[in-house]
Amino acid sequence: MAYFKDADEVYATIGKLFEDLAEDDELAPKFQKANTIVQYQYREPQSQITVKLIEGEDGQVDFGDTPMEPEVVMSMDADTAHRFWLGKVNVTVALARGQMKAKGPVAKILKLVPLVKPVFPRYRQLLEDSGRRDLLEAS
Amino acid sequence: MEAGSALDAAPLRGFKDFYQYASTTRVIAGRDLLDSAGFEFKKEGARRVFLVTDEVIRGTGLVERVEAGVTDGGLEVAGVFDQVPQDSSTAVVERCAAAAKEAGADSFLAVGGGSVMDTAKVADAVFTHGGGAAEQEGFFLMPRDDDGMGKPFDIAPLACIPTTAGTGSEVSMAAVIKDPERKVKLEIADFPLFPRLAILDPESTRTLPAKIAAATGMDAMTHAIEGYVSTDWSPHQDARSLHALRMIRGNLERAVERGEQDEEARGNMLIAANLAITIALGSVHAMSHPAGAQFGVPHGVANAIHLPHVIEHNAGGGSDIADRYRDIADVFDVSEPEVGPALAAYLTELIARLGLPTRLSEVGVPEEGIPALVEGAMGDGTTLLNPREMGEDEYAELYRRAM
Repeated sequence: MAYFKDADEVYATIGKLFEDLAEDDELAPKFQKANTIVQYQYREPQSQITVKLIEGEDGQVDFGDTPMEPEVVMSMDADTAHRFWLGKVNVTVALARGQMKAKGPVAKILKLVPLVKPVFPRYRQLLEDSGRRDLLEAS
Repeated sequence: MEAGSALDAAPLRGFKDFYQYASTTRVIAGRDLLDSAGFEFKKEGARRVFLVTDEVIRGTGLVERVEAGVTDGGLEVAGVFDQVPQDSSTAVVERCAAAAKEAGADSFLAVGGGSVMDTAKVADAVFTHGGGAAEQEGFFLMPRDDDGMGKPFDIAPLACIPTTAGTGSEVSMAAVIKDPERKVKLEIADFPLFPRLAILDPESTRTLPAKIAAATGMDAMTHAIEGYVSTDWSPHQDARSLHALRMIRGNLERAVERGEQDEEARGNMLIAANLAITIALGSVHAMSHPAGAQFGVPHGVANAIHLPHVIEHNAGGGSDIADRYRDIADVFDVSEPEVGPALAAYLTELIARLGLPTRLSEVGVPEEGIPALVEGAMGDGTTLLNPREMGEDEYAELYRRAM
């Protein structure tokens, strides 16, 4: 069974994490070095998060439809995204198995991968703070 | 930082959580095989063959021999595209695909080095599925059934006759093509890109200049070494890498020094390159791709320059990494306790003996280019497979050392 019952649950957890990161004084500038717009297209439940990572510009995170035009599109099950932010998904394996698919200039995103490690404990904390301890048991 | 996340360095020994291995290309190796190119390619469904090559290879007369071999086997030569440059580009790929379509071809036969074979692969994908060359970029993204999650659709039959012993592209599912607009090398990998047939005949490398034999041989060496120490290592690739290194040890210098006179060494180097190839690479390739895309450094030369520096850096990253390099050092009878510096020194001497440059400054890369090179290396997918975690500072330092 999928971890999230609908798109709103995805936005309240993974989406909230993106919003928090966009406002983080320390991490946001590092991620914005990617100079791109990334769209995460999730399945089960169908949901979509678009993130602007442009150096020198305010961050922007849109849920669902967006006027932003993504340069990189990453698609995966929402469960895979959730497990990724828990630090339980090896990106290269997920790409090799087709669990994650990345379209566009993937290099811009791959160089961010080493930066996400400090985000894992934040996601766990976010789930705890929002009363979603059930999601921490994901394996 | 959370302990034990999937982004931490993967163990380099034991039973892995996951790996996959595929090698679906039929390889035929031996003497006098060019004449039977058609006889063999017919078995893969080819009828009207489109030859892809470059002007240099065509000038050696090799392509005419292959054309004769194609028609002898009852196949037709639909056309010849000989405009592939040393570092092929998206525009060349699209011209090649359009020419094949115009010629009414149903299959591709690449006769050349890595650039020619990679051009043929991506042109085949464009020819079969449409779209532009840049749209093919990505890993495991080729069209599939079941909403993109099922079996990938085949592309037109592709056969390769490598004319260098290094790239291994003739048996790999990967292709690298330059995108001049973005100044990056596009990396494309998926199962349908495995050629159906590879023909390894030392006659195809008989006229290879010594410098190119050396550079491409170092490319094969780099594949074998990086494949063995990558976090994406596997027992299957271990076996191939170590035997490739044994064959390179015994044949590379002979093939470079004696060239035309040493058919055995040339043939064995073709097989070694075949065994060595993998897409599980590391920081040598991450550094070499931008050096090629931004400063035109030939891939094998860039690998030769970066390899010793990356080895020395990686081997200092922990005993499990050093142990993997020790296995490689054993192949070359390098037995000093500090394996990183010792293996790096051994290879630097070998590279110099082969007549290759050992510094980036010798091949036109300026010190001011380092920031852009670092950015390119950080965005290269192979960075994630390096056994020691790499950051911008580490890459900048390695590029400085390589200057």
